Amino acid sequence: MKIKSIYAVAAVCFMSLAMTAGAQAQQTMGYADAVRTLANACGADINKYCSSATLANFGITNCLVENTGKVSASCTATVATVTAAIEARTAAQKAAPQLCERDARQFCANIKGGNRFVLQCLLKAERRVGKACNNAITAAGWR
Amino acid sequence: MNKFFAAPLLAAAFAVAGVSAASAQAQMTRNEVISSLAGTAATVGRFDPIALEQAAAKAAASGGEDAVSRVSDSLSKLPQLSVEINFDLNSGQIKPESYYAVGLIADAMATPSLMGQRFAVVGHTDATGPREFNFKLSQKRARSVAEALITTFNVPVDELIAIGVGEEQLQDPANPKAAINRRVQIINIGH
Repeated sequence: MKIKSIYAVAAVCFMSLAMTAGAQAQQTMGYADAVRTLANACGADINKYCSSATLANFGITNCLVENTGKVSASCTATVATVTAAIEARTAAQKAAPQLCERDARQFCANIKGGNRFVLQCLLKAERRVGKACNNAITAAGWR
Repeated sequence: MNKFFAAPLLAAAFAVAGVSAASAQAQMTRNEVISSLAGTAATVGRFDPIALEQAAAKAAASGGEDAVSRVSDSLSKLPQLSVEINFDLNSGQIKPESYYAVGLIADAMATPSLMGQRFAVVGHTDATGPREFNFKLSQKRARSVAEALITTFNVPVDELIAIGVGEEQLQDPANPKAAINRRVQIINIGH
């Protein structure tokens, strides 16, 4: 019985760890997915309040924010979540080269032509590259 | 200043209407965009978008309703992607069902395969209406796509150049009014 409960506790701990890791991986989002997520949550509000807004210059999200109070609560919440996820991805893209510096020296030392070629090399070397660099590349949306 | 105005956030969504019209486009994946656009030293750098636009402007200015022939024979050899982006009638306003495609292009451009490369955004119309009108409309539409990519979707401004060629470079010259002619081409023009 005792042993069983230890297993149970371990299983719960493992699950929560796995969920944390999963949640971290999902915190960043690309633009296409963001468009799709916003469409699902805000499509009706956009049709109603933002039909003349443009895609450029953040026109749609600006309009939704201007109409906070009128648009649905789930749309407003989704705008915030999606915005944070995109900012996280942009930040991950900026941070990746530094987080991968050691792996780049180790596995891609002979690559010339700049960061993008080194990053392509690290993508190919996924199995050998360290966890921090691999996580950074995933968060950057490059896989 | 409101956080939403200052941050490099996205601003987009499908409206509910018209999603089915974009279903073919919605099936396009980011990696398909990347493989269409990825260039090599051998294929990029051979194309002058400004010269192409000038040739199209000159052809369109010769007037009339219908273009006589294409202005370039070499375009098809470059790494490129033709995207069906829907606009409001006679306007540069991108329709919501096409926002996803624009987002996908931005995502592709931010990957190591394409980052730092330059791209021409080339607007095309079909042959309905006067050539000169179509030339100007295609310019407006190409600029509208580039502006969305640069502002909302965070693509570096020096990586894009927008040009229009009106109806002077039809995809299907045998059917000049066919929908396939109305498109936005993204062409990899190198570093």
